Amino acid sequence: MLMQASALPLRPFRRGKVRDVYEVDAERLLLVATDRVSAFDVVMGETIPRKGAVLTQITAWWLRQLEDKVEHHMLSASTAEIVREVPQLRDHEQELEGRAMLCRRTTVFPVECVVRGYLSGSAWKEYREGGTLAGEALGKGLRESDRLDPPVFSPATKADEGHDENITVDRMRTLIGDSWAGELERLSREIYEAGRAIAARRGIIIADTKFEFGRARSTGGQGVEKVILVDEVLTPDSSRFWPADSYEPGHGQPSFDKQPLRDYLDAEKRAGRWDGNYPPPRLPKDVIEATSERYLDIFRRLTGHSLDPNGSH
Amino acid sequence: MLELWSPATRHGLWRRLWLALAEAERELGVAIPEEAIRQMHANLDKIDFDAVAAYEKRFRHDVMAHVYAFGDVAPAAKPFIHLGATSAYVTDNADLILMRRGLDLLRGRVLEVLRSLTAFAEQWRDQPTLGYTHLQPAQLTTVGKRATLWMQDLALDIADIDYRRRTLPFRGVKGTTGTQASFLELFGGDHEKVRRLDQLVTERVSFPASLPVTGQTYTRKLDAFVLSVVAGIAASAAKFSGDIRMLQSFGEMEEPFESEQVGSSAMAYKRNPMRAERIASLARFVNSLEGNANATHAVQYFERTLDDSANRRLVIPEMFLATDAILLLMANISRGLEVHPAVIARRVAAELPFMATEELIVRAVRAGGDRQVAHEVIRKHSQATARALKDGAESNDLLERLSKDKSFGVKLKDLEGAIDPKRFVGRAPEQVDEFLRDVMTPLFAGETARPARPDELRV
Repeated sequence: MLMQASALPLRPFRRGKVRDVYEVDAERLLLVATDRVSAFDVVMGETIPRKGAVLTQITAWWLRQLEDKVEHHMLSASTAEIVREVPQLRDHEQELEGRAMLCRRTTVFPVECVVRGYLSGSAWKEYREGGTLAGEALGKGLRESDRLDPPVFSPATKADEGHDENITVDRMRTLIGDSWAGELERLSREIYEAGRAIAARRGIIIADTKFEFGRARSTGGQGVEKVILVDEVLTPDSSRFWPADSYEPGHGQPSFDKQPLRDYLDAEKRAGRWDGNYPPPRLPKDVIEATSERYLDIFRRLTGHSLDPNGSH
Repeated sequence: MLELWSPATRHGLWRRLWLALAEAERELGVAIPEEAIRQMHANLDKIDFDAVAAYEKRFRHDVMAHVYAFGDVAPAAKPFIHLGATSAYVTDNADLILMRRGLDLLRGRVLEVLRSLTAFAEQWRDQPTLGYTHLQPAQLTTVGKRATLWMQDLALDIADIDYRRRTLPFRGVKGTTGTQASFLELFGGDHEKVRRLDQLVTERVSFPASLPVTGQTYTRKLDAFVLSVVAGIAASAAKFSGDIRMLQSFGEMEEPFESEQVGSSAMAYKRNPMRAERIASLARFVNSLEGNANATHAVQYFERTLDDSANRRLVIPEMFLATDAILLLMANISRGLEVHPAVIARRVAAELPFMATEELIVRAVRAGGDRQVAHEVIRKHSQATARALKDGAESNDLLERLSKDKSFGVKLKDLEGAIDPKRFVGRAPEQVDEFLRDVMTPLFAGETARPARPDELRV
């Protein structure tokens, strides 16, 4: 039930709405996913039990699946192991359980690599209004939530303030150079397509997702710089997850993870009890539990086993 | 927009800011009971303004009056409301939230105008009309192309709104002189928790960041930034209204006129461009206030002075309210603009023969003439024609004069072929198409189309 992790005896590196990053030393970072949840751009006052652990362990699971395709930044996602590596954290083992990931530091590229395999959200809006996606013309006659083959790669800049800004692939080339840009696009497509196929067999449609990459030399600082997959990977927070069994193009799809929460907030809005601004309504216990169960269900479906009650597995 | 600047909204925001502060303090370990949070949450909009007025009469302090009134309805929270904070925590942060929402409302209004003007520009993309430079007839343009000039101004205003909207920082949790001393005390010297408090409150109200440093207030430069965007919209609308008023004077175009509308109490036949005139009137008011914000910023001595307060209470809401009214008027005009192609054609015909002189020279040479002779003949006859028009001639007969002049040597029919207005509009129709495709379509993309619900015009 971690709300905030400022009590950790490490130097904060970056704090997000739902995730915090700490500096361990010159080579390593600690990523901590909290149980916070946001919907409609507002962070809820309540937390979703186990959500942070689910997100971290899903990323860890994907990174292991993808090891033959891309190098990644994970050193460990086992809290016991992390505490052995970083003894300052020994008093915090319980609150960190499952939610922490020890990672190697990289030089992160200043672009977010978005891959869209289905037409949804802002992409659908753009297409509906102008027939384009990320500024490029897309085939005619597509419906909301239609599958895109091949998926569309649409990078964005990481805005320090506010929302990320969509950019063209050309702009991305200018920002980071042709060869890195080509490599990031290739990897993003490959990882997404692999992930989309695996998840589909387990009843989950990953409609779109966002990757981040860094670069680093191989161990010891020798050799050429390689692309490293960083941040969270193919989680419900970095992607749009839909239940496959109710998939039906032509309208918006329910969210696999946040639907109970969204339904509740929608009802509050319709009833005129919430205007969409702070503060969000207080969440009833059953909504919190249903949402928590959704996250655990996603973990079970993807990995084939339950999230160990002790977090690591 | 009126509701945005109402006391209910403003003071409802104060209560939300107190709640956000208490929630964040509690999260960081201050012993605030859950019941206090619950009571605050349950009473965000139940503001007893009579009770507030009674407290204010006693304390002569508006923020403390609201603290007490809030405490009366949320007794469990009473000991914690405003803990560590200074008045500017609620007043300044609420102003920033209000201005940001104000920009959102204006943006929606500008988009409405742009949707109407897009349809207008499409419809009249290739209707030739006189262009004017120095307010004198110049080369032709099209009615639709002229509309894109108005639209481009508004599109630039939207880009300005978006930048300000995205980057506007929060004042955050800073304390009396901006040093966060009271909060450092509250957290027993834990700097990290104080920083986190500032960040947590900022995140709750969905601002991208809080200002790294402040005095007691946020720098009044932010007001100047935002109000300059607002004034920019008013100026764009004023330019539009000036064009409409002149076009209506020429008889080429008219703003909408209701079937029973009275133009003049005395001159019953009149149709005055009174909506466009109202835009001009309000826009001048808005633009006269723009400099006010920088003037206020300039006199904020040291960590703050209070001479900003009464002034800002008028300037900020009034600029937003007046600009909102301006855009309502502009949307109304844009939806119902009447174009009179016959008048436009008549006015074009009066000038076009003069503009076609280059083309006429070419035709004379093609017919076997001498370029220098043709130039001299045209010079002579066009001066005479212009003179005749000023002396009362009904139409421009330059072509007839030329056709009768043996030294020019081109038949009237050939000359008339040279002056089809559509040949003189350059790329104007294509520019309209390109502008709509390259600027408007991406602008509308990603915007949810609103139902076509014309807002009632009440200004």
